[in-house]
Amino acid sequence: MMRTLTRAAFGVTLLAISGCQFFKSEERAVVQKGYRGTAMEINYVARDVNTAMNDLAKQMPAILPAASEASPPAQWQNVQVLNDISVTEFNRTMLSFSTWVGGNPNNCAYCHNIANFAADTYPDGKAIYTKAVARRMIQMTRNINSEWTEHVANTGVTCYTCHMGKPLPNGLWFYTNENQILRHYLDGAGARVVSQGIAPSNANRSSVKQTEWTYALMISQSTALGVNCTFCHNSRQFSSWDQAPPQRVTAFAGIQMLRDLNTNYLAPLAPVYHPSRLGPMGDAPKAQCLTCHNGVNKPLYGYPMAKHYPALWGTHTDWVTPPAPAFTKPPVVMTDSAAMVTMDSAAMSAPVAPTAPPTTPPTP
Amino acid sequence: MLEYQNLFTRVQVRTTADPGLPIDETFGQRYGSGVFSYWAGKFGDFQIGPIYLGFWGIVSLLSGFIAFEIIGLNMMYQVGWSPIELVRQLPWLALEPPSPEYGIGIPPLMKGGWYLIAGFFLSVAVITWWVRTYTRARALGMGTHLAWAFGSAIFLFATFFVQPLLVGSFSEMVPFGLLAHLDWTSAFSIRYGNLYYNPFHALSIVFLYGSVLLFAMHAATILALSRLGGEREIEQITDRGTAAERSALFWRWTMGFNATMESIHRWAWWFATLVTFTGGIGILLTGTVVDNWYLWAVKHGVAPTYPAQNVLTQEQLEALRGQYPSSLNRGFPTYTMPAPASMMLDSTTAAPDSTAAAAPAPGGM
Repeated sequence: MMRTLTRAAFGVTLLAISGCQFFKSEERAVVQKGYRGTAMEINYVARDVNTAMNDLAKQMPAILPAASEASPPAQWQNVQVLNDISVTEFNRTMLSFSTWVGGNPNNCAYCHNIANFAADTYPDGKAIYTKAVARRMIQMTRNINSEWTEHVANTGVTCYTCHMGKPLPNGLWFYTNENQILRHYLDGAGARVVSQGIAPSNANRSSVKQTEWTYALMISQSTALGVNCTFCHNSRQFSSWDQAPPQRVTAFAGIQMLRDLNTNYLAPLAPVYHPSRLGPMGDAPKAQCLTCHNGVNKPLYGYPMAKHYPALWGTHTDWVTPPAPAFTKPPVVMTDSAAMVTMDSAAMSAPVAPTAPPTTPPTP
Repeated sequence: MLEYQNLFTRVQVRTTADPGLPIDETFGQRYGSGVFSYWAGKFGDFQIGPIYLGFWGIVSLLSGFIAFEIIGLNMMYQVGWSPIELVRQLPWLALEPPSPEYGIGIPPLMKGGWYLIAGFFLSVAVITWWVRTYTRARALGMGTHLAWAFGSAIFLFATFFVQPLLVGSFSEMVPFGLLAHLDWTSAFSIRYGNLYYNPFHALSIVFLYGSVLLFAMHAATILALSRLGGEREIEQITDRGTAAERSALFWRWTMGFNATMESIHRWAWWFATLVTFTGGIGILLTGTVVDNWYLWAVKHGVAPTYPAQNVLTQEQLEALRGQYPSSLNRGFPTYTMPAPASMMLDSTTAAPDSTAAAAPAPGGM
């Protein structure tokens, strides 16, 4: 009797396990990210990623038909940023802005005085803060797409990348009286804590507590991108660049980019915003990784939305020249594959060519 | 019903509770007269109490209670004195050590002062409890093996105070909190270049897992020998019987070597004691002698090398390296805010009477 029961229980368990989607090998994808045997890999459930991509595809606004090249020259009235494109492209872009940020293509009034679209004020003379902010955001977008290819490559960003149809993107943050790890994306001190030598020295007096702050910062990035530590680090030595996947270099450029955006574009808008948009200490909302990434290692799963909108490219016309990027992207050996997007695991699991020297010297 | 009986399946006799030896109760006395519990008898002795506290026991309990209260009340303060929130957030709550800026100085109460006070009372509680294990063992005419094994654990506990003293920052200390102290272990390991490459950490793990293995081997051997009287280990030491002979043969035949009824307990004591002793040495060396255990392991050929994922020049490495953190990021920033948008000027209307017009323009940009 007992033996029969045991056998039955064993059989049921086997059935339950084999029936469970989780254990189906074709649903589990493992992408090798580093040298064999070092456990440098990404694990994900392909079905979940596909579902998320389909959901996003359903809610993403359609790309508007391309504007005709032969549009009449414009008589711009108070167009300070987008005055280098044709009128039809301008109108197309404006409609898209309304959808991307205002939620629908008819929401012109979110940023405009309907009686006088050129005006920066409402009929009662009060400033339209949303218009001023939007103008600055267009400059910021152009800055990202033209100056920060080290982070956004040729994919670029649009308003929708962060806004996703809402006036306020995700992950906005403000100053508090508490210790704030996110200050690293603006004016915070460094986040490096691991020594470069064996013996202790005064060069690095970082404490365990400071390490925890860096840890928290890293976890905020990990959560924002939906990846684990080994996406950017070899966890046996977090500080090592040699052993890190190339994504770490991209992420480093992202941190530099965030510092540029927060310092030169977002924080200075504090006097422009309506007070209800400001933080408890009167500062403007600022961005972090989550703002654009929204839980995905490539925003919008790498969909190159921006390429359809020439207005979002071109050089930025600016009142503040942003600081030059602090570094240039070094040549990397392993190609940065869009593994999570294309499921192209074959390319990633190929052995890494370890000894190929950099082909181009670093740009100073 | 027939029941197989040996020393492990004891008949529970109900009679007057045994108070133990007569002792000098000048400085402390036994509390209670002893009660019986059937289920306690399933796990150990069925008599519970009396308990001897004495001076050291009372000091220990009192200090422990004070430390517990300080930690608990600080946690209550953190959740706005809401008992429900205390329960809900308990795993994430912590009484944190002082911030790095205070070094080994005395911080304000709410910025680490309470932590140091709680740590002091916790240490007093642990040390007086050690004194208690020592004096009680002496009072019963026992050896002091237990006190010294416990002392090894206290040594590791103490290194979490001594190591911060040596590196000059109380912020190194372990926070009092459930997940917080686990996060601390991660952060400590990362800060010092991966503690798994610390050979004393490795030794500590060897003794820890070794202790588990020895415990399982010994317990299994004795239980298997109970039908032959093997649970009478002391008798088997002095007057070796068939149980001792068979267990010796078993291990000699299976692995070529056997401990003895006596030596297995020395094995266990040393393994257990060395877990915390080697661990404590590892902590004391960290940050004082070695700041990056991974690099230490590379230098001494312990860590294997793999082909690089990125081939970077020295200049590129320098460009990629961040800065070490300096201070806290608190309150409003001190940096000079760039000028507000001059683009606010409207070419179609007069300057708006908005907040933008009244905005300050620091930095003169």
